[in-house]
Amino acid sequence: MSTQTLDGFPKSVAASDLADGSVTLTVDAGLYPLEAVYGAAYIFIDRCFVLLDRPAAGSIAVTLADKKGAADGDALRRLAGEFANELLTQAWRQKIVEENRVVLELVTTQALAGATARAAAPAEPSLDDLASFDFTEEAFDDPLGIAMSWEEKYKKKTPVEAASEAAAPAVVAPEAK
Amino acid sequence: MLAGIEKPSATFPAFFRVREVSGSFVVTNAQGDWVVLSAPEFKDFGEGTVERGSALWERLKAANLIRAEFDVPAAVARLKKRMKFLDNGPNLHMLVITLRCNETCVYCHASRADMTAVETDMSAETAERSIDLALGSPSPFITIEFQGGEPLVNFTVLKHAIEYGQRRAQEVGKSVEFTMVSNLALMDEEKLAFLLDHKVQICTSIDGPEHLHDKQRKLIGSSAFKAAVHWIKRINQAYIERGLDPSLYHVEALLTTTRPALSRGREIVDTYVSLGCRAMFLRPIDPFGFVEKTAHRVEYPREEYLQFYRDTTDYIIELNKKGEQVLERYAAIFLTKILNGEDPNFLDIRSPSGAGISAIAYNYDGLVFAGDEARMMHETGDDTFLLGRVGELTYDRMMAHPTVRALVLGSNLNGRPDCVNCAYNPYCGADAVHTYKTQGSLSGRMRESTVSAVHKGIMDYLFEKIRENDPETMAVFRRWTINRSRDHFVQTPV
Repeated sequence: MSTQTLDGFPKSVAASDLADGSVTLTVDAGLYPLEAVYGAAYIFIDRCFVLLDRPAAGSIAVTLADKKGAADGDALRRLAGEFANELLTQAWRQKIVEENRVVLELVTTQALAGATARAAAPAEPSLDDLASFDFTEEAFDDPLGIAMSWEEKYKKKTPVEAASEAAAPAVVAPEAK
Repeated sequence: MLAGIEKPSATFPAFFRVREVSGSFVVTNAQGDWVVLSAPEFKDFGEGTVERGSALWERLKAANLIRAEFDVPAAVARLKKRMKFLDNGPNLHMLVITLRCNETCVYCHASRADMTAVETDMSAETAERSIDLALGSPSPFITIEFQGGEPLVNFTVLKHAIEYGQRRAQEVGKSVEFTMVSNLALMDEEKLAFLLDHKVQICTSIDGPEHLHDKQRKLIGSSAFKAAVHWIKRINQAYIERGLDPSLYHVEALLTTTRPALSRGREIVDTYVSLGCRAMFLRPIDPFGFVEKTAHRVEYPREEYLQFYRDTTDYIIELNKKGEQVLERYAAIFLTKILNGEDPNFLDIRSPSGAGISAIAYNYDGLVFAGDEARMMHETGDDTFLLGRVGELTYDRMMAHPTVRALVLGSNLNGRPDCVNCAYNPYCGADAVHTYKTQGSLSGRMRESTVSAVHKGIMDYLFEKIRENDPETMAVFRRWTINRSRDHFVQTPV
């Protein structure tokens, strides 16, 4: 392993390994939230193998290894720079989203509610429609007593009712018919 | 500190954002009210030393920028007007009738297929199911846009889709507009008669004068430019024959600005004017489709694009002053927001953007995507924005899809670094699919975004013109914000 410094980056936070085609950045965990580090690192997984490590308390090391394995010094510097910029963006975005949560949620809710307005769905009866609703149809069959109240279903039966129930055919599954 | 402000007042200004533009200060608020101030005026505003009742005081008060005078009902009304587009759900539904195309374009965003690839034709059943899904939108008015590939290649299904769409729109009581984006080379009189009879709006692509257009759009054995121009003239004549006002009814054309176009702004405008096209859209190139491979030939730094935009729009304004009515669409979109306080609902320049909640793309194979760019990404192997398949997907499930919600959140400028503090926030927008494609996340890094650079650059240009306040230029700008409805294309239920 032959690590080198990266132009424009402090030696203590960034190093590259040309042989591996990788760059490692060490991030101050007190400065950047862990979620921002995750978010920024994730952006690179289509191009790099990404490894997070904790080399010491209070710091997070992020290694980005080019998937093709043959990145030159300039490419590694660009990778490190892009990660640093993305990390700042993610950290700030997290703060902004916290501060603007109400506005963001309000707009999102309105957008999704607008897009799913019931006007588009098959018409459901309104309260006005109930006035002309036909309630005279026969009740549907309810052999299991689902529509019965608890009192009706489990009240103490008279001897005549009990005898009548025992004589009735059992409800069977259609397949068994 | 900006404009030499020494003691910023914490009590005089209401919430504002500011951007320095060529020595002046564009000050806006959350509702999109604005003033352009000189440096001394901005200093007085920032320090709270504006004399009560002065002309500056009245301008700031009218723009709702003085905390003590803040008009809450006016602010609410203005914000509601500006955000009205949130109410209706998807109104743009794009059907990719086929991927087959008879032309080969150097920048093809659609990832066209060869003419033999009949497996990329949409079936009549898929077209029907797509239209059924589109008509589930709560929007009382929807646009069904036929795209390709080249939609005329699969004309049988195109016809069927139009007839089915007309019938179903009538049945569900929705207004519908059909548009077709075509290179026109496969048009004939029979097809044209059908399209005119069924009120289909026809759009095409013109990339500039013949040599430029043909260099970028190859039509085997012929000139793509000549074919397009022949049919543009024929269609425009047909509108006149049908008694339609040619200033409203004519073929619209779209420009894709490639690197060779940057030095030919005037030629491009002259070509459009000579063809009777009244609207130019000086769009920079997108990163989707074949551009991934041809970027080294067609792409350019955005500073060069912005110089092209300024020079070309200056020329368009000059033509307008001489009586030639032609507008630049980017300017028209931003000016409608800036001068009228309304959003023209251009889906890529909105916050949140229209991907998913306002635009849906239906691929030839029945796959459904959160907008056209999302569909383009599928063709290059990324299904991040796939919502499902027609016939299986219900409208409600489509809108409740977590990807749609993520796109709404990700494209909201009030959750994006840089945008959140930008003076142009009320007028701007950046598609989350674009930021995902170019920068890997839905919210993006706007300081490094080409879209952000273009939008800021164009609005800088417009505010410079607004500050200059040339009466003739402002009259042109106001005319560009007037939306004249083309009712002929809108088919309302009877």
